[in-house]
Amino acid sequence: MGLPAMAANEGIQLCVFDSRRGHQEGQELDKILFFFPSDFPYSVQLSVVGLSEGIITFTRIFSPDAACEVIEEERHSHVFYQAEPDIWMVMIVEKNKDNESDWRCDALIDVLKEAHSLFTMFNGSLQALLDKQPSGELARSRLYTFINDYLSDFYVGKKIQVPSFRDCLKERRTVQMLTVSREVAIEVQSLATVIGTSSLGSIACKSLILFQDLLVATTLSPGDTANMFTYAVLRLTPHALSSNTSSWSYLRRGVSGSSITASSGLLNSRSSPEEYHHGSHDSSMGEQSNRYHMPRPLQRDNWSKGKDGFLVCDIQLNVGGLVYLAPVVWLQQSEEHMYLCIYQHRSLTIIILIPVCSQTDGEQGIALVKKQLLENASEKIVHVEEKLSRGWGGENAYHVSGYRYLLVDTDKSISRTSPPGKVMTLAKDSLFTLNKLREEVDLEKTRANREKPDQEKNLEICIRAKNNSWIIAKITQGRELYMVLEKANETLLYASDAVEKFSDRYCDGAFSLD
Amino acid sequence: MDSDDSVTDPNPHHPDPSLDAEPATVEQMGSLTLGEAGDAAGAERPVGNGFLPADFYAAAGEIEVVEEGSPVSGDLAGPSSLGGPGACRERSGRGDALPSPSSSGYAGERGSSGGSSEIEEADDRETMLDDWSRGKRHPDEDDGSVSWRKRKKHFFILSNSGKPIYSRYGDEHKLAGFSATLQAIISFVENSGDRLKFIRAGKHQVVFLVKVPIYLVCISCTEEPYEALKRQLELIYGQMLLILTKSVNRCFEKNPKYDMTPLLRGTDAVFSSLIHAFSWFVFSNPKPKALVIWNPATFLNAYTCLPLSYSTRQAASAILQDVADSGVLFALLMCKNKVVSLVGTQKASLHPDDMLLLSNFIMSSESFRTSESFSPICLPRYNPMVFLYAYVHFLDVDTYLTLLTTSSDSFYHLKDCRIRIETVLVKSNVLSEVQRSMLDGGLRVEDLPLESSLRSRSLTTPELSSSQSGIGGPSGLWHFMYRSIYLDQYVSSEFSSPISSSSQQKRLFRAYQRLYASMHDNGTGPHKTQFRRDEDFVLLCWITQDFELYAAFDPLSDKALAIKTCNRVCQWVRDLENEIFLFGASPFSW
Repeated sequence: MGLPAMAANEGIQLCVFDSRRGHQEGQELDKILFFFPSDFPYSVQLSVVGLSEGIITFTRIFSPDAACEVIEEERHSHVFYQAEPDIWMVMIVEKNKDNESDWRCDALIDVLKEAHSLFTMFNGSLQALLDKQPSGELARSRLYTFINDYLSDFYVGKKIQVPSFRDCLKERRTVQMLTVSREVAIEVQSLATVIGTSSLGSIACKSLILFQDLLVATTLSPGDTANMFTYAVLRLTPHALSSNTSSWSYLRRGVSGSSITASSGLLNSRSSPEEYHHGSHDSSMGEQSNRYHMPRPLQRDNWSKGKDGFLVCDIQLNVGGLVYLAPVVWLQQSEEHMYLCIYQHRSLTIIILIPVCSQTDGEQGIALVKKQLLENASEKIVHVEEKLSRGWGGENAYHVSGYRYLLVDTDKSISRTSPPGKVMTLAKDSLFTLNKLREEVDLEKTRANREKPDQEKNLEICIRAKNNSWIIAKITQGRELYMVLEKANETLLYASDAVEKFSDRYCDGAFSLD
Repeated sequence: MDSDDSVTDPNPHHPDPSLDAEPATVEQMGSLTLGEAGDAAGAERPVGNGFLPADFYAAAGEIEVVEEGSPVSGDLAGPSSLGGPGACRERSGRGDALPSPSSSGYAGERGSSGGSSEIEEADDRETMLDDWSRGKRHPDEDDGSVSWRKRKKHFFILSNSGKPIYSRYGDEHKLAGFSATLQAIISFVENSGDRLKFIRAGKHQVVFLVKVPIYLVCISCTEEPYEALKRQLELIYGQMLLILTKSVNRCFEKNPKYDMTPLLRGTDAVFSSLIHAFSWFVFSNPKPKALVIWNPATFLNAYTCLPLSYSTRQAASAILQDVADSGVLFALLMCKNKVVSLVGTQKASLHPDDMLLLSNFIMSSESFRTSESFSPICLPRYNPMVFLYAYVHFLDVDTYLTLLTTSSDSFYHLKDCRIRIETVLVKSNVLSEVQRSMLDGGLRVEDLPLESSLRSRSLTTPELSSSQSGIGGPSGLWHFMYRSIYLDQYVSSEFSSPISSSSQQKRLFRAYQRLYASMHDNGTGPHKTQFRRDEDFVLLCWITQDFELYAAFDPLSDKALAIKTCNRVCQWVRDLENEIFLFGASPFSW
């Protein structure tokens, strides 16, 4: 929906609303829990929410079980995510004339899903916040800072850039793993064991170990791992801490290294609270933020590395007489609150999660865990880091010459991709075609899920595009492989042969057919 | 909302008679006459008959109104009678066989015969009644009915002020509220300077087509690609134009609240048969034998020919050419939806969509079968603003001759032409060849020659290899469609035994639709080749400058063999092109 009032404004709107609220006339604004950009006139905000709600109601006439997911217009895409039973997130993205704005709706919805799961990890569910404080101010103020901080990663220059067709060889909400030799794997395992037991008494801590921006080991469930991994790569790893360094990780959203640098500078200036609160939905938001403790785990530069190797968070403030020791996260799988404690040694980042319930005295407990870690594990940590560094192939470690690929294990939420720098060498048309193909495959997958939910989807599509590149998608046994082969031979047999070879070599033959 | 009653009101919408006094712009339309009810012999311009507004006349020249409820008996013996050639007969619908072959306007009782004449898409349920074409489907339903909400595919036409014009299911007037909702959604977006394309919710898709002042909407859970559904809406719009021309827009310019439903009265059968052609669809004819409507023309942008020996088709073309030289714009001989021959006057060519819509219009209207007819029709791709005149005559139960002209008074000339043509066709055995070809069917994958030495096989000699039925063609080939880009024609093989079940055929139709949409992507397409394997099929598509080939194989087929087989299919089609394609018809080129 092109909103007349915003022609020159940001090309994106993001809205969170509660469909149970604001039913009385004059109270409609109460529906809105979050709106970006916040300086949009209320009338425009209301019309966005009004259309969204209207379409949700309308589609339910025919499709009572699955309400609206996408509205596609000539100049805008709207994607919907029903984050919680009555809570909707809607993102509206404007299509540019420059032909750069072709995206996959599922990739946009993944942005909403990621924002919501990260939010929930730090704040619990929105429903719980609304129950705690029915006026909604708590939920609003949390959302306000959190989503704005989250969106700050999407800035390229002065504009927010959502994932486009150029990102079609990436998969959000998945984990990238470091492949290690058997010998190293055993050592990592033993380190994880030490961390797990180095805690207090009988209560075990959980942990994630990252090397650079890649996961090495986790004791969390796949879903929680993906959330925590995402957060780590956004804010905790050495790359994330030194945001001036250009990063090769796809989770840094910029198109290229240089633009990241540019945007990072901008982000830092943007993250000043005054600016966030400017034109806020609720004019008392400033005061609100003082009344309610507002941790901002996604605020840039929130974390810094202390002398002891542990990361220090600005959240660890004394607010209203309460000492907040460390950020607390909520694990969906085990339904537990955990303190977050991060230790970093060179490229190795160790995230320790300490159950909150175990701590009668949080500060002491965490200090104890830290002490134990340094005492019991520091040698191992140094050792493992050295080994990993030695075996580390660098940014292009997972480049396979001649291939540009994305490999997703949907069951485990793991993906591996060609290095972004290599993907950038692909022709625009190739990426464009792959993006379309992925959109098609997304639909095929959901259709297959509906029709035969208990049957594994098997699908293979090879397209010889107009520019002579091969665009390939293959789904089998819960794994997905997407591939672009440029400068390849024109025969289909050559292309499928290339896929076979890749599959045999890198995917344990999962995609080999014969 | 106007009730049906208002239709018979002589002047419900145009209280100002001066509107009707506007001079007709004859130059655009030639003359189109509307025979007034009960006044078949009245030659005066219809004044305030309420059937079409004044502007419509202005655009259309003279229109002879045929009103509901009174079969107009302008018979051929009296050509001056305005009920004669030139009436908008199909506008008032289906109906009883008329006593006189010339009677041109007649009444159809709207919906009243619907009860016994519904058919479900095979998706819906298994009920298949003998003739869907006679009435409104489920006229008793509206948006409050559970059954209505559960229909797999709805189509709506409405005006931009929210007036319902057509709904596939349910009574338009009962759906006024729903129609207003659709209008509100579309207009909200239009007012913001944008345009709705589609909404997706689970397996449902709502697809919009805005042709101000007309809105078209499809609500479907058939999971066809957006492009396919949008094209279906385009065709429905085209079908509407074929009946009314684009000058109907002027009615809305004058009166945004204009109620257009009376104009389409009686055309339910035309739309429902078109809609059936969009989907894979089975119905049982009076005979118990199940027939499959499989019309890839709805997405291939091409027409198909009835296979005939070159000389037979030449004979047909020669006589058509003869009449074309005598002031006929297009002469078209078709058997069901397959073209026997087509001839156009110099430079004029017929768009495949126009052929699809025209043949659908003719075949779905029972009255064409029972009498020779002269009916105003518009070919939306040829010129959406004007009416042409179609002389239609069924030569046998499936074969019909259509002569299109710009002149409204050439009925007798065209009748003479038809008599000449029919005589020649009978004498040269063309008609019997046509009937034989219908019985023989088209290409069979089992007959695909194994060696290039067998190339010269003629369609009319049965092949030995056809005995190996049961497994489809060589290398697991089950089916193919070949579209000649230059000729705007396609040829589609018969279903081989592995896809003899209706559910398999439906899956194949859908798979082809998706393959077509995937290959013809707007941004980067068309692609060159595509290989696709899933649980149901191996599909191969190959697009060059000259042709497009779509082939379906056994899902376990070997890739290399499938490719080889595709090459052989192309060779085979080229070898047979004189028999399966029509040459000489100028390709569509404006």
